[in-house]
Amino acid sequence: MTNNGFQHGSAAGIRIHVLPTKAFKTFAISLYAGVPLDENTVTETATMPFVLRRGTASYPETIQFRERLEELYGAGFGFDIYKRGDYQILQFRMDTINDSFVQSKDSLLAESFAFLGEVLTRPLVEDGHFRTAYVNTERETVRKKLEAIVNDKIRYAAERCIEEMCAGEPYRLHPLGQRKDLDKITPESLYGTYQKWLDNAIFDLYVVGDTTPEEVEKLVAAHFGRGNASTAEYGSRFTPVQVGEVRTVEERLNVNQGKLNMGLRTSITYSDDKYAAALMYNGILGGYPHSKLFVNVREKASLAYYASSRYDGHKGIGTIQSGIETQNYDKAVDIIRKQLDELRNGNITDLEMSQTKAMIRNLLSEIQDSAFEMISFDFNRQLSGKNRTTAELLSQVDGTGVSDVKAAAETFQLDTIYFLTGQKEE
Amino acid sequence: MESKIYERLQETLYYEKMDNGLQVYVLPKPAFKKAYATFATKYGSVDNHFRVEGGEETQVPDGIAHFLEHKMFEEPEGDIFATFASNGASANAFTSFDQTVYLFSATENIETNLSTLVDFVQRPYFTDENVDKEKGIIGQEINMYADNPDWRVYFGLIEALYSKHPVHIDIAGTVESISTITKETLYSCYNAFYHPSNMLLFVVGGVEPERVFSLIRDNQNAKSYGKQGQIERIFEQEPAEVAEKWKECKLAVSMPKCLFGFKEKTSGLTGTDAVRRDLTTKLMLDLLFGSSTELYQKLYNEDLISDSFSHEFNSSPQYAFSAVGGDTKDPGKLIARIKEEVSAILESGFTAKDFERARKKKIGGYLRMLNSPENIAHEFTRYQFRGGDLFEVLPVYESLTLEDVNERLREHIDWEQMSVSLVVSP
Repeated sequence: MTNNGFQHGSAAGIRIHVLPTKAFKTFAISLYAGVPLDENTVTETATMPFVLRRGTASYPETIQFRERLEELYGAGFGFDIYKRGDYQILQFRMDTINDSFVQSKDSLLAESFAFLGEVLTRPLVEDGHFRTAYVNTERETVRKKLEAIVNDKIRYAAERCIEEMCAGEPYRLHPLGQRKDLDKITPESLYGTYQKWLDNAIFDLYVVGDTTPEEVEKLVAAHFGRGNASTAEYGSRFTPVQVGEVRTVEERLNVNQGKLNMGLRTSITYSDDKYAAALMYNGILGGYPHSKLFVNVREKASLAYYASSRYDGHKGIGTIQSGIETQNYDKAVDIIRKQLDELRNGNITDLEMSQTKAMIRNLLSEIQDSAFEMISFDFNRQLSGKNRTTAELLSQVDGTGVSDVKAAAETFQLDTIYFLTGQKEE
Repeated sequence: MESKIYERLQETLYYEKMDNGLQVYVLPKPAFKKAYATFATKYGSVDNHFRVEGGEETQVPDGIAHFLEHKMFEEPEGDIFATFASNGASANAFTSFDQTVYLFSATENIETNLSTLVDFVQRPYFTDENVDKEKGIIGQEINMYADNPDWRVYFGLIEALYSKHPVHIDIAGTVESISTITKETLYSCYNAFYHPSNMLLFVVGGVEPERVFSLIRDNQNAKSYGKQGQIERIFEQEPAEVAEKWKECKLAVSMPKCLFGFKEKTSGLTGTDAVRRDLTTKLMLDLLFGSSTELYQKLYNEDLISDSFSHEFNSSPQYAFSAVGGDTKDPGKLIARIKEEVSAILESGFTAKDFERARKKKIGGYLRMLNSPENIAHEFTRYQFRGGDLFEVLPVYESLTLEDVNERLREHIDWEQMSVSLVVSP
């Protein structure tokens, strides 16, 4: 079966998706591992990759581990931890030079798989658990990262808004976990979590580059020791939330600029047929410089440098963010709420429709020019179970009318207004 | 139209200089759907004091290059973002120390969008009213950066290193300095620095070079530009020594931020010499502070650095400095340990094995960068403005020797030339 050019197969309990192409100078590799977002496991699951990147059975010392990557022409290696809907996703990435550009005696693709397979399935184990020193240091690394969120006020305000809005749900959790759980982590407990994770997580492996599905399947079978584990699939964990009164939260910190964030709920998710209309809604509201928020909050009222919106189709959430003078709070909230009303009333011009369609068309069309963008787009399909190519989504966006956007707008309910403001004058 | 084939990179670059002096480069990427174009002027925040041949010496308010960039987007008919949106293009711009770059990416209507890009930048429209309105928006941009500790520690370092050269002045200026900007000062900067002979257009992606050149040729021939005299940029003599050895800034952070850097004593490098020094210095810094080095691992295990520890080298003909550091719980101890460890390396130098591995990593990183049209366009323009060629980097890397890097190490790491910048909680 093909979708956007990806060919699908599996090996070692891992679903494999390969897109053969000569368009890039590298092999882009992404390994996704997803588990349900859960208060009891979120922190250990997040700490695990930090320990895995310290050393493996063959490269026990961190310096050896990193030197190995440099020998592979500085293969890009990294990982991310994030939320997609109510799942916690761990993504390992490698970006390895195609051998034809350098003089290398070994296949860099094969060497990369040997490396990634080892990181995932042959970690450094001493006395039946992870190396104690690595666990102790990396636990502090995660703690520092969690503490550092407050340093970037834009990001902090965005996270706090979601935390307040989703207070009763797993989605309130930060993908890196909770500080209070860090002290409970031991080398033994973390190794136990790792073993369970390796058995139970949902694995998807993507490769974009000058290779074939057969070659990748062989490499995975050879280097990923997941035994006879079977492939698993994501299930829908979405439950619509009824919105009551709008909740207002104000927080005071020592800031020069106030950060105004809003959270909205919608019943439309990625797998929904109305997804294209929700994309249009977000685009007209605040996705672009021609959108209502940018034009009205920034260009007309001169209140802000940034004013935009985002839509997360995996969780059914819309967010709005802007940085303003603290005394302009009421003015900014009024203008933003007015834009929400405009959309709900269907006050949308033909020009707004056509401009937003053109911008979404551009966004979807240029996915094919980036290996990792193509991978992210296809991964949506694994997450949501919805098989929809960029071409199909494009034509659905094109077919969206004002009444469809208005109908989508009716599903977006303002839930929470969060304001990060300065300390009160003494 | 001239062309140059870079065989090892499997790229062909096309070039033509227009009659009015505008330089146009096209790098076709036939497998790509999108096109990415940058229209850049060799004019940035440091160019605040100048004389155009036959004209008067002019000193302009801090932040005006950036202010001008904002104001270019306004046309008599309204915001140029709307025109780009109607043609499905995502447009933006940025101002750095020594250039201002306008750009778009699009997958359709590429020729229309190219005309829009060139036309809007060549059609200034400033009024008292629209200049005034922009002050509120840029004021918020300045406040946003004032709350950002990473920006503050970085700028703090430049302020500590330089006392006279305008590189130490924030690119956006201050709320006070931009308050003195008028449409007259904007026009005077525009007329000095936006002449086609001071500009470079770069187009990369799914385009045909002949068509791009013919479009730009016709576009430029339809506009009349007088001959531009020589631009003399006036810089006060910058002393060789640093302005301050230790500089602290108070801002709430979870852990202190510490950046240190070395100021080069020699200036005036351009062309291949500058490229060679840049690449040698960056390789040297990676051998010294990279994440696979013994120094890095020691400091990490001593809990003095975190994943945020990084290094960079920034250079132009009039200034050059390194910036190294990240979050640390004990800046004093970190600096002491760095001095101790680096002094030992200054004695011993790097080994041939480490040098070869680090060079491989750099070559891999360079080739990976060439996957991205955005990076190609930005880097190419930056190199070109300094008389270098981005596509000749590979042979330079290959010609570097261990001796070159060891010599650079002893030249650059001069403790007398070092400043430390900190952001600590009040």
